[in-house]
Amino acid sequence: MSDDQSVHALLGAYVVDAVSDIERAAFEDHLSECEDCRAEVASLREVTATLADAEAIDPPPVLKARVMEQISRTPQLTPTPAEPEETDAPAVARESGQDAPATARPRRRVWAPLTAAAATVAVAAVGVALLLPGAEPADTSAMERDVMMVASAPDAHSMDLDLGATHVVVSERMESVALMGAETPMPSDGMEYQLWLLMDDGSTMAGPTFMPDKDGEVMTMMHASLADVSSIAVTVEPMGGSSQPTSDVLAIAGM
Amino acid sequence: MGERHLRAVRGDGDDPDARAAAAAPGDGSPARGRRERDALDSLLTRVGLGDEDAYDALYSAVAGSVLGLAVRIVRDREMAEDVAQEVLVDVWHRAARFRPEAGSARSWILTIAHRRAVDRVRSEQAHATRLRTHGAVPESLPEEQESVVDSMQREWESARVRAGLAHLTDRQREALDLAYYRGFTHREVAEALDIPLGTAKARIRDGLLRLRDLWEVDR
Repeated sequence: MSDDQSVHALLGAYVVDAVSDIERAAFEDHLSECEDCRAEVASLREVTATLADAEAIDPPPVLKARVMEQISRTPQLTPTPAEPEETDAPAVARESGQDAPATARPRRRVWAPLTAAAATVAVAAVGVALLLPGAEPADTSAMERDVMMVASAPDAHSMDLDLGATHVVVSERMESVALMGAETPMPSDGMEYQLWLLMDDGSTMAGPTFMPDKDGEVMTMMHASLADVSSIAVTVEPMGGSSQPTSDVLAIAGM
Repeated sequence: MGERHLRAVRGDGDDPDARAAAAAPGDGSPARGRRERDALDSLLTRVGLGDEDAYDALYSAVAGSVLGLAVRIVRDREMAEDVAQEVLVDVWHRAARFRPEAGSARSWILTIAHRRAVDRVRSEQAHATRLRTHGAVPESLPEEQESVVDSMQREWESARVRAGLAHLTDRQREALDLAYYRGFTHREVAEALDIPLGTAKARIRDGLLRLRDLWEVDR
């Protein structure tokens, strides 16, 4: 199949992350059906691990202190993703043949009470950091591109939010939530909107803050594993955002 | 041997996994390599069960590579430490999803690290800027890369990588350099080197396959 061929040809690029999110999702689909590719990916990942090891430097003690402190309040995922079809870890789940039968380890959750949400925020930080004020301002066109990619993901689905004419599009495969809309009212002075993921266990994961532009259009997105998300909500928060919601939920969409 | 290895042993003195994992990352002798791999796999599996002591030992074995890779890719020490922290916490978070039969713990961890570092680079710099800043020609091969080598093993590992890269064709090496160390997509690689997309993809893959074949012989 020529289509299959072109996906197959992505193997090297996939291993070194030289692919777009859409290509990655397509390749991971292919991997789930192609044992040869799984074996080759696994063997080439050992090669890239060797390349990485050659870069090793001494980590400063403060890094370890920060990491150990953070893991002490970070919950762990269970062994099996909620939906076995979907990959939970963008970089690592499916490509290594992770659709192999789950091991017989008992399902288990380790939630550090109360502080779990704060920790989860840190885990999601890679997706969120660039969108938070104070971090580098996200390139608008890059964000538009990302939002469009989520919207066009094969498993994308859209839900309305009661905030002007706004909706969120979620893609589990791309581990992304994109919010876009128009006619969104300006929040009061000194306040911004903030996106939240409400988790099955009652914790919340902070998303980016966002503001309508002068035409009332809004757009933002975040990356996070959606396996344990029960709904997506928007609140109004003081400028800069909050780590826990401080106001009533303005708009909410259930997963 | 580096201090980090001693720390791992001290941290968990009676733990055979920790001891073996700490023994010699990158020692090329087949028995050592195999033992180290099994030890790390078993540590990561235990981390997936919530074992913080296992995490401590695992940290000592991989944090240097995670940070070094991040520094190489994002080229900013502070940002790299940030990325490394996220990666190392993510390893804890996702550990239960690790499947040893699908690849080694080390490659599982360094795959997360590479992906995060590349994501950071891509979000920091728009494509055009990146092309402008780094130009089309890879400016630094690992030979010229300054890195703190604190142990025989690391020197050995670097030498092995340098030797391996020297066996690639210039074209394979430059494609791999842009893709792996700079976070270029295959489209950007093709554009930067002014070659067709299919050629760019093939050079990346052929380069990796060549390294694999070389290193399998060493092991």
